[in-house]
Amino acid sequence: MERSFKKEVELLKLKEGQTFHGEGILAVTKALLQSGVSYVGGYQGAPISHMMDVLNDARDIMGDLGIHIETNASEAGAAAMLGASINYPLRGAVAWKSTVGTNVASDALSNLSSAGVRGGALIVIGEDYGEGASIIQERSHAFAMKSQIWLLDPRPDLPTIVRMVEKGFELSEASNTPVMLELRIRACHLHGSFAARDNRAAEFSRKNTLENPDFDFGRIPLPPATYAQERVKVETRWPAAQKFIRENQLNEVFDGTIAEVGIIAQGGMYNAAVRALQQLGLADAFGNSKIPIYALNVTYPLVPEEVGAFCAGKRAVLMVEEGQPAYLEDALHTILRRADLQTKVHGKDCLPMAGEYTGEVVLSGVAKWLEAVAPHTEKAGVDPASVRQAFERLTAPKKRAAELLGTVPARPPGFCIGCPERPVFAAMKLIEREQGAFHISADIGCHTFSTLPPFNIGNTVLGYGLGLASNAAIDAIFSRRTVTVMGDGGFWHNGLTSGVANAVFNKDDGILVIMKNGYTSATGTQAIPSSLHQTEWKSGDMSIERALKGIGVQWLKSVYTYRVSEMAKVLRKAMASPFRGLKVIIADAECQLERQRRIRPQVAAALLRGKRVVRTRFGIDEDVCTGDHSCIRLSGCPSLTIKASSDPLKVDPVAHVDNDCVGCGLCGEVAHAAVLCPSFYRADIVQNPNAWDRFIAGLRRTVIGWLQPAEPRSTT
Amino acid sequence: MSALPERPITILIAALGGEGGGVLADWIVAAATAQDYPVQSTSIPGVAQRTGATTYYIEIYPAKTSGLGGRRPVMALTPAPGCVDVVVASELLEAGRAMQNGYVDERTTLIASTHRVYTVAEKMHMADGRFDSDVVLKAAGELTRRAVLFDMQAQASAAGTVISAVMFGALAGSGTLPLSREECEAAIRSGGKGAEASLKGFAAGFERARGERTIAPEEKKRPLDATLCSPVQRVRQTFPPETRAILGEGAARCADFQDSVYANFYLDRLEPIVNLDRAADGYKLAIESGRFLALWMCYEDVIRVADLKTRKSRVERVREEVQAKPHEPVHLTEFLKPGLDEFAAVLPRWLARPLKGVAGTTGLANKLNVGMRVKTTSVSGYLLMRCLAWLRPLRPLTSRWHEEQALIDRWLAAITAAAKRDTGLALEIALCARLIKGYGETHKRGKGNFLRIMNTVIESDVVSGASRAEAIRKAREAALADPEGRKLEQSLEAQGIAPLPPRPKPVRFMRRNDRKAA
Repeated sequence: MERSFKKEVELLKLKEGQTFHGEGILAVTKALLQSGVSYVGGYQGAPISHMMDVLNDARDIMGDLGIHIETNASEAGAAAMLGASINYPLRGAVAWKSTVGTNVASDALSNLSSAGVRGGALIVIGEDYGEGASIIQERSHAFAMKSQIWLLDPRPDLPTIVRMVEKGFELSEASNTPVMLELRIRACHLHGSFAARDNRAAEFSRKNTLENPDFDFGRIPLPPATYAQERVKVETRWPAAQKFIRENQLNEVFDGTIAEVGIIAQGGMYNAAVRALQQLGLADAFGNSKIPIYALNVTYPLVPEEVGAFCAGKRAVLMVEEGQPAYLEDALHTILRRADLQTKVHGKDCLPMAGEYTGEVVLSGVAKWLEAVAPHTEKAGVDPASVRQAFERLTAPKKRAAELLGTVPARPPGFCIGCPERPVFAAMKLIEREQGAFHISADIGCHTFSTLPPFNIGNTVLGYGLGLASNAAIDAIFSRRTVTVMGDGGFWHNGLTSGVANAVFNKDDGILVIMKNGYTSATGTQAIPSSLHQTEWKSGDMSIERALKGIGVQWLKSVYTYRVSEMAKVLRKAMASPFRGLKVIIADAECQLERQRRIRPQVAAALLRGKRVVRTRFGIDEDVCTGDHSCIRLSGCPSLTIKASSDPLKVDPVAHVDNDCVGCGLCGEVAHAAVLCPSFYRADIVQNPNAWDRFIAGLRRTVIGWLQPAEPRSTT
Repeated sequence: MSALPERPITILIAALGGEGGGVLADWIVAAATAQDYPVQSTSIPGVAQRTGATTYYIEIYPAKTSGLGGRRPVMALTPAPGCVDVVVASELLEAGRAMQNGYVDERTTLIASTHRVYTVAEKMHMADGRFDSDVVLKAAGELTRRAVLFDMQAQASAAGTVISAVMFGALAGSGTLPLSREECEAAIRSGGKGAEASLKGFAAGFERARGERTIAPEEKKRPLDATLCSPVQRVRQTFPPETRAILGEGAARCADFQDSVYANFYLDRLEPIVNLDRAADGYKLAIESGRFLALWMCYEDVIRVADLKTRKSRVERVREEVQAKPHEPVHLTEFLKPGLDEFAAVLPRWLARPLKGVAGTTGLANKLNVGMRVKTTSVSGYLLMRCLAWLRPLRPLTSRWHEEQALIDRWLAAITAAAKRDTGLALEIALCARLIKGYGETHKRGKGNFLRIMNTVIESDVVSGASRAEAIRKAREAALADPEGRKLEQSLEAQGIAPLPPRPKPVRFMRRNDRKAA
């Protein structure tokens, strides 16, 4: 696991009267314990990866409360697990990254919400939208609407988030409907504080088990029950939810002195709206705003009575709604029309239709809106000229910076130092140079970075574990063999069935490269069935190779990834092989990040004990390097960088290996495989040398010293 | 109740993944929490990988929570332009990015490390793709309230810690936080592991920020050689002062590569060009011709590489670079893969030519590369390399020598001919030698590009008059922008020169016309 929460999970034990100081994800977990959940689960993915890590690190605490923790195979599995709450009074929660995870889960979600729940069912979705997002940009809101799952979007403030978790379970039970809690990236990583309450053990749990199965055909998705379920959803559960939201005041109104206008914001957008008003001189540090604000901690369903009450008497409102389509703005129009209210609705006319609503975006949107509604605010003392001036003063430095700086080069994430996946793409690049480009169906995972410079390898990405499935028609219609890349995380998530089994079944002829690095590395190195190092909670010995053979893969080769020449040879062989059928190459080497995390403390301890340890790293002779950087174009390793040449004649920077090098060997392999240049050397540094080491080194130094010429000139 | 602060203090940390930006944010939060200030931090660490640009954002409301009567300040999750008090950047380009995003203005204190971690785009450029650090430094000087700039990476290494500790020290020392030095140090101590080293780094950063010194990043060039061999003396006596530094270095390099006769030959070749150049232009043509002539004349054949790799000073340099302690033995392995070309290069012409011919027609040229791992710290490996280096006196007999000298003469003739009419044009021709570098395939491609420009724009009259220098410059830059050479062809096409077709690539894939017929 990338990060250990062993220390932080102590916060989950806090009692009534104590204050929690910590991260948003941990606060949500604490809120689950305060709500008396019976089971939890999910599938990792930023920004809620750490929630899965926290759950796993908190097994002891969970165990005391009898809570079951499941590391689900996929989001579909996690959603299906919520089925436990259909018939039984069990509160349960699962978490995943959205919208991609919700996409995977949507089959189970539809069935779950149609059947309805007895026990509270909460889905914590990490909305991966905007800066730092690593997925396609869509909204989870659509899923809530289509399946009638209630959607909470709490103000990013830990007490509010915790309250919404607790109230979310009550809402779920009051309306027999699953509830989604949407947390944006920054809210997940939000560090703040809230007043803790005692944890609650559930009525039924691993400690107090269920005895009697419950059967009710009305909860089965077969006609005629399904027709009744649809009606119950809109006739019973929906009004029940609205009643609960209203009575418990889940949405919040913050009054202001300028009653003619108002701002309606998704809960998650509240702080940004307040900050914009602060910057324009219309609110103070505590959020006391001259303009009234209606914060929607529940963005689905809306409560028409509340909306009507807020808008009544207002000439105009601004809807601050991040993402598109503008579901909320559209719904607002409908509600006002039905209520025959003449309040003008602004929203996407002032704010952008697409993209994250950062501080800058909301600031300019609010400024633009204030200008549009100036006739209504002027008598309340808001001077449009001063708002405009404030806005221009705030945004002028960016324009000046653009003049001074031009365009600063982008710095996207990429493969880590010594990553075992890099050599595979170096090998592919070599084959590309030799034989021209070939089609590569890529997949989701760290290996998607192959599409970035310097490799630019990978033609399509269709979803997690779907690389091989996405290659089905390509494979059939290309004259040359095509290649698919899949990670081991994707393999277990989806790839084994929809990819490999299907390709074998259809007698496809493609080449599949499985990156076997042992973890779902991109999400923070969580364990998967084939991980080498399992905890006591997980079953070991589930091998990819046996699974492949079991479903009839006949052409299977395993290559240690760092052997670039070998990898290129096997790829060439697969491309030219007369064998008709799926050819699988397993690129085998452990995630370097995780490997270093494991061996660094071991090495440090060995050194401390005086043990002999050989440290390996690579280097470049700068007087041999000519500064053409072709090695970098085949690697991109962060540790293989450039530096100004110390040679006064050379104008171009020379290649250079910095001290972060972990000695993975790729540099030497590429120098050989690509016939690059003789500048690279490998240095093996013998730490804590023994007597023999010292003797032989001394002897060699002496003999070599005799052979060494007098230095023709100083090169220092 | 006394008047409460109008707004929170806002801090933006711009870092690279894995640099400990999160640890820094945690320290700040811990220190503020210990002082009972309302504090909030957020981040976008996103993916687990260790390389991309990332940010952390913190707001501290500088009034004790206990005095707020239960009221909670509303804090933002994203920085907003005109609303950032401190930007702390772990690297210079990231400081530039924060400015580009509008987060730096006259309210902002910018604390940034001046060292560079180059982006892939900058690194993979065929020549020099580095973003100009001075641009960032200049912008920092103009846009900020105050800029605290120094090499934090160097300070961190010196203290044996990570850069985040130095950043925290500089932040604390800048006086922008409502936190004292002791309060910040307490936060580091409560973090436990590695606290002592972190505190050392913190102290270094703190003191630097207090001193308000601004240091530009320095590029260390080796001081020019002081040893006086006779060709170098000749430079001092007969060449214009502006040219002496580079020409002296060039002459010394040639002497080191071959002998002092060769160094004199270098100066003989340059003399006519220097005579045509003018002091008014700062002898730019003479200097650049001298620079590239020296690099070219000291081309990297196996003899040269073996020589450089078996010098005493090299072992010392490597030991320093890999941070080996004096008592630790270091074993060095060289990765060599000489092929037919390298072999033929050291043979006399009459042997090399037929050999290359046979290899070319049989397609053996690409197959004869032998991957060798030579241990230059073992006696046998060293001896092997040294034997190659001992071939130096025989170098003038080799086929490569003749090839290079002929092409150099052709290039010099073009420069001299142009210089008689237009030194600007001659300079552009001289600079084309920058294309020739690397080994093996890279070298071949570079030389191919050079020859293509020679044949089309330099030695023919397709482009004439004033636009010629410009055409050469554009062609050169295009050749350096694309390793495949397509951009060069496009650039030439713009001058009315028919482009060469892309080089064909052999298809070794299985053709599958017959499959799936069923």
